[in-house]
Amino acid sequence: MTVGGLSVGLAKAPARRSRRIPPYVYLLIAVGALAVVSTVRVFTGATDLTSSGTVQAALTAAVPLAMAALGGVWTERAGVVNIGLEGMMVLGTFGAGYAGYQWGPWAGVVFGLILGLVAGLLHAVATVTFGVDHIVSGVAINLLAPGIALFLSKLYFADAPGGGQKQSPRLEDAAKVTLPGFSDLMGTIETKRWFFVSDLAGVLRGLTTQVSLLTLLAVVLIVATAWVLWRTPFGLRLRSCGESPSAAESLGVNVYKYKYLAVTASGAFAGLGGAFLAVSSGQFRDGQTAGRGFIGLAAMIFGNWRPGGLATGAGLFGYTDAMALRSADAVHALLLLLGIALIVVAAIQYRSGHYVLSGVAAAIGVLFGWWFFASDEVPPELVGAAPYVVTLLVLGLASQRLRPPKFVGEPYRRGQAV
Amino acid sequence: MSTEPPAGGAPAPAVQLSAITKRFPGVVANSDVNISVRVGTVHALVGENGAGKSTLMKILYGMQQPDEGTIAIDGAPVIFASPADAIRAGVGMVHQHFMLADNLTVLENVVLGSEPRKGVGLDFATARARITEISSAYGLGVDPDRLVADLGVGERQRVEILKVLYRGARTLILDEPTAVLVPQEVEELFGNLRDLKAEGLTILFISHKLDEVLSVADDITVMRRGTTVASVLPQDVTARKLAELMVGSALPVPELRESTVTDEAVLSVDGLTVVNADGRTVLDDVSFTIHAGEVLGIAGVEGNGQAELVEALMGIRPCSAGTITLSGRDITRATTRQRRESGMGYIPEDRHRQGLLLEATLWENRVLGHQTSKPNVRGPLLDRRGAKADTERIVAEYDVRTPGIEVHAAALSGGNQQKLIVGREMSGSPVLLIASHPTRGVDVGAQAAIWEHIRRARAERLAVLLISADLDELIGMSDTLSVILRGRLVADHDPAAVTPEQLGSAMTGAGRED
Repeated sequence: MTVGGLSVGLAKAPARRSRRIPPYVYLLIAVGALAVVSTVRVFTGATDLTSSGTVQAALTAAVPLAMAALGGVWTERAGVVNIGLEGMMVLGTFGAGYAGYQWGPWAGVVFGLILGLVAGLLHAVATVTFGVDHIVSGVAINLLAPGIALFLSKLYFADAPGGGQKQSPRLEDAAKVTLPGFSDLMGTIETKRWFFVSDLAGVLRGLTTQVSLLTLLAVVLIVATAWVLWRTPFGLRLRSCGESPSAAESLGVNVYKYKYLAVTASGAFAGLGGAFLAVSSGQFRDGQTAGRGFIGLAAMIFGNWRPGGLATGAGLFGYTDAMALRSADAVHALLLLLGIALIVVAAIQYRSGHYVLSGVAAAIGVLFGWWFFASDEVPPELVGAAPYVVTLLVLGLASQRLRPPKFVGEPYRRGQAV
Repeated sequence: MSTEPPAGGAPAPAVQLSAITKRFPGVVANSDVNISVRVGTVHALVGENGAGKSTLMKILYGMQQPDEGTIAIDGAPVIFASPADAIRAGVGMVHQHFMLADNLTVLENVVLGSEPRKGVGLDFATARARITEISSAYGLGVDPDRLVADLGVGERQRVEILKVLYRGARTLILDEPTAVLVPQEVEELFGNLRDLKAEGLTILFISHKLDEVLSVADDITVMRRGTTVASVLPQDVTARKLAELMVGSALPVPELRESTVTDEAVLSVDGLTVVNADGRTVLDDVSFTIHAGEVLGIAGVEGNGQAELVEALMGIRPCSAGTITLSGRDITRATTRQRRESGMGYIPEDRHRQGLLLEATLWENRVLGHQTSKPNVRGPLLDRRGAKADTERIVAEYDVRTPGIEVHAAALSGGNQQKLIVGREMSGSPVLLIASHPTRGVDVGAQAAIWEHIRRARAERLAVLLISADLDELIGMSDTLSVILRGRLVADHDPAAVTPEQLGSAMTGAGRED
């Protein structure tokens, strides 16, 4: 018994579940999800669930969220919480409105980016140099930014042609591109209404038709972020500031510098997100962001502080957003979809031993299913809330294995290393 | 220049600290410290907590600058403005609290700050090759692609050593490297150190575990109150002699006088089992009884379930099976407050994290844990006057050296903080005291005082559960001794007959068949 006990104690801890999930698993999940959506589409007749129009709208809605989320990844990976992304986005929308109507969409994008960058710099000064609580500084920026934007809007747009107290003149949209041939082919297949095949075609067509150059830029930025943060010395140092600033400092990394760069970059990304929003919707309007900065943060958390994950999260939120805009029918079908998704979540949570969570997910899932079958449509007042409800459910029930950077939100002072 | 390389054949010392003095506001951390470390040796620096070892090492590693004195590396005088300078001069430090990022891989942790590059990207292939090369050259056995979060404590320490070697260090400072290791890991570490020494590297080893120092060091320097008081060779001293050098006087001896054990059971624990959040059984079927006037000592290597046992007894950690009975009443499901109200006192193992609010006054700390009983409350309100008066009593009776009861607990030295906690836990006449490392990190005077208080309370029929890493304390202060190993009580010993060596081998699970 002694010997047995001893050997048990000396044995290595059991290897943890592998962290690297091979790509084909993601592909399988995507195919499975599309199959489910397709089934629901056939069952409910809500063709907008997978139409190319929905996918296009989803893409447009997702890009600003993804940019805010990307900003979140930069700052939080360096250990600074930036809840001010929303405010920085607001400044981005104004910047795009101001420069956009005078010098074209790309000038708007650049100007929005610069305004966001300035706000990011402000957040960096407050949190890194002066050690202000990250949330307090972020909230201050969120309160300040809409005020500034509205003030400037009254100042510059009230007398501009086509402008008003709370909105800019019309902006020109950025150029759009279509994959020639392929798009039409997919369009033909989409109209056949075949199970799965047509749905796939709808999605592919949506992804290749009338895609804004801004969207392509966003994709490039997401990929570039992944490379910079995970494959370069710069990125390693930046991430080390969020994981263990004292270790970074003890190895000669200038933690302040990297935090500054990260927070400033995060502001720039948020500003860019705001600019995308303004340019793609054709003008700046007061209150245009409507909480997208926060949803972006949620997408980042959903994505486990990783570019690929946040893109998925932003896509999901963009999709529900697009659905709410396009058709009440589709939102009704969304109830069933959500019900199914929650049952799946419940099953997964049950298997990993989170029984309470599993029960809650299952109960809500059943509730949504019942709602679907007991009603013919979702009250229009609730349709607009769909993306937020989905956000809440996803974050509350699905994300139990998230791993935020260890020192995110912690105040850091140089020389506190032991 | 006073640090010329010595003439003749002997090589210059790897590290020569001359007349180092460092003052902080109000204290002199180091005064006139002189140490000479020979190349290719393990040099141990020993001393009590607060003797100035850590400050000295921070100076040597460039984290702090000395007010006076000089540092010479390999005979050449140097001035370190930052750790980067020290690293450049070939001095590396393995911190007591690991400086590792959990969510990064070993490779990322090692190369951070001096990454090999390919263009603007990180050259992972070169980094991996170098780490593997160093790892096998010194027998460290580190896999560069694992996440640090998945590594055990011993492996993390080897990663820290590898980090230092990767930067080309020739002199390694190890700050209390064995504090976090279990005995097998300590042996492995010492094996690694011998390998490093054989390769011509120099190691400065800070410790207050004297047995380890004696087994691994080639030279020993003793520090006391900020200065170096002796340099000795391990073969010339015993652990006890070293301890007296560290303390500067004869050591107080823990001992009990006549037995006061009665047959009245105060605490009975039966089949106590605790499963932690990962589903691992950390306490397995533990049963024991403590009688009025009895001290039960629990010996064990840290991390074998002592902390879980204490937390389960205090109601901080839920137990999966078993019963706990206090004075005939089943308290298995009672809350922590109910347990305290029915007469449990608790000296926690970490007084800063669990015992005190450092940023609160002494009398507020006095109220903690007794916030429902006289003299601290009157009806639903705090009785400030009563609490303060009683704090004055504790300060006087327990000899807490403080300018007053309105100062923050953080202003007191460790020993005085501990005396305040002991006084607080003894008030309200408890029937059971759980003392977890009651004299850890306190000075000798406070240690003797705390022992005396436990002895006196025992004479007044207090039952005590004593958990300690100090085997002399356990043997001297216990009426009964149990050994805990991997969550089980595996052996009972008679403290009058057992030696620290026998206890030590029982704690590691060896030699239990005798």
